[in-house]
Parts: sequence; C-alpha cells; structure tokens
Amino acid sequence: MPFLYEEATTPQGKPLLRITARDEVTLADAESLGARIEEGAPNHRWRILSIVEKGTEYSAGARKYFPSLQPKYGAIAVVVTSPIVRAAINMMMRLTGQAPNLHLFTTEAEGLAWLDGLEI
Amino acid sequence: MSLTISQARLHELLNVLVTAGSGDYDVRVRLEENEDALLDVELGINYLLDDLIDRRDQNEAQEEELLTRARQLARQQDELVQALSTPVIVAWPGVLALPLVGRIDDARAATITSVLLERVAAERATHVIVDLTGVAAIAGPTLPALLRMVRAIGLLGAQCLLTGIRADVAPQIVALCDAEIHVRALAQLSDALALVLAEKGALGQPHK
Repeated sequence: MPFLYEEATTPQGKPLLRITARDEVTLADAESLGARIEEGAPNHRWRILSIVEKGTEYSAGARKYFPSLQPKYGAIAVVVTSPIVRAAINMMMRLTGQAPNLHLFTTEAEGLAWLDGLEI
Repeated sequence: MSLTISQARLHELLNVLVTAGSGDYDVRVRLEENEDALLDVELGINYLLDDLIDRRDQNEAQEEELLTRARQLARQQDELVQALSTPVIVAWPGVLALPLVGRIDDARAATITSVLLERVAAERATHVIVDLTGVAAIAGPTLPALLRMVRAIGLLGAQCLLTGIRADVAPQIVALCDAEIHVRALAQLSDALALVLAEKGALGQPHK
C-alpha cells in the first residue's frame, strides 16, 4: 500500500492523521484518502501530516484527483526531502491554484509546528 | 534568479521534445535529484507526455467505437435495402407478386433471384408476377440474369409473368430469349393478376 495511515495527535494534542506515502500512488489510493476525509468520514477536516518518501510517484489519475481534496482536509503539512517528489507535489499545487492549507517542509518537526499553530 | 544548466540536461530535454514532436509519446525526461527550478520543467514535460498518451488512448477508443457503430449502421442499412428491394407479396394463395423499383444491377438481380426462389418453394407458388413498371434501368449484363431467374422459377414448377416492360427493354428480351424460356408478358400487374386468377378459377369466388 502506497499510503499508510495512522491516527495520532500533534505535540499540542490536536487530532492528526499521519500518512506515509511511498512507491506509486494510483487513483484508487488517492480515492481511499478521499474516502477517509469526506464529509461525515472520521478524518474530515483533520490536520494531516504526510511523510512522502523518496521515489514516490503519482499516477496521472491521482494527480488530477488530489486537487479536489482541498476542501476536505483542515491542513496538510507535507514532509518531503526528495527534490523530484517535491517537484511533483509543486506541480499538483499549481493545478490546485491557491492552496493556503498545504505547505511543504523538509522535517517532521517543522510540519507539526505549523499544524499546531493553525486555527481550524 | 539565475540558473546554471548542464549541457547534458539541456541536450536530454531537447531530445525528448524532438522525439515527442515526432509522435513518440513514450519517451520521458530522465529525472535526477537536482535541487533547481529546471526539475519542475522536466517533470512538467513528463506529465504532459502522460496526458498526451491518455488523450491518444481515449481518441483511439472513441474512433474504434465510432467505426463499430458505423459498421453496425451499414449492416442495418444493407439489410433494410435488401428487404425493400425484394418486396415479395402473396397476392393470392400460390400467387406471388414482385413489384421491382429502381435500378437493377448484377448484385441486386442475384439477391432478387435468391429471395424469390426461396419464397416460391416456401409458398408452393404456382404463379409469379414480376412487375417491372418501376424499374428505371436494367444494366446490360443483368437482363440475362433476370431471364435465368424466370427459367429457374419454371424449374420449380411455377409460371412467371412479366408486366410493365418498358419499350426499350422489350427488344433486349426478345434478343435474349431462347425457345426454352416461356415469358408471358402483360401490360400491367393487375392484368396479370386477373389472368392468373381466371386460370385458377378464382374470379368471382370468395377467397378461402
């Protein structure tokens, strides 16, 4: 599974969905995330910390689907160290247009601090 | 912001663009973990090529679907034309009438012969009236085919009557007829029907 989900809390105790991404993310994988954060679903409007491993790739279907998720999450901190993966996420962000509730970070601590500082 | 790009990366990028420009969308820019803005461009080109392949596949699928539909419509049209081109009518028990309309070529003559002989056998017909009033033209080599049909009807034990023969077709029939073909010709279909019914003793009797 390219996505591993874990429900946790931020350092300040706020609900957090932690996702580890690896390998090739398909449309089905992206839709499984969509189902978790759909209105009425358990993780709707949660803070999300996404750790994207080096070598993770996004299929064309997944790339087109992700922008539709924007209103369904509270905020996403994406932790990415690979320049290629960062470029891929940047490309999806361009498709989304403005995504003020999505930020890229190079460390988990930075991402968590940003998520804790947000009022959602 | 300035950007230093190696000749190799630029060369690779151009090669991919040229290859894609020639219609090969399977080519991709080889990505390396370079921390620069050109990586976004390289990745963007790869994504664009993914999209081009998707659209090409969709177009091919739509084209195939349209072709299948066109073939289906052509087949239905052929069936309809064939049905309309050989309207065999049971005018009376044992009497078939075939009013032909339009141009008759070899293919149509063959279809008419096949359908008509089948009906003669199925209906155990004694008489077949072929009405040529609506026939605009008979292709030169087709007339012999129609006359062979008349002979074949005779071999099945039915008598063939031709009606509505045009003035320009009559000499052709005379030239082609031999002693073995007995063609009875009348001016109108109604004349032929009256003659046949009289022969059968059916005139003035209620239809059973």
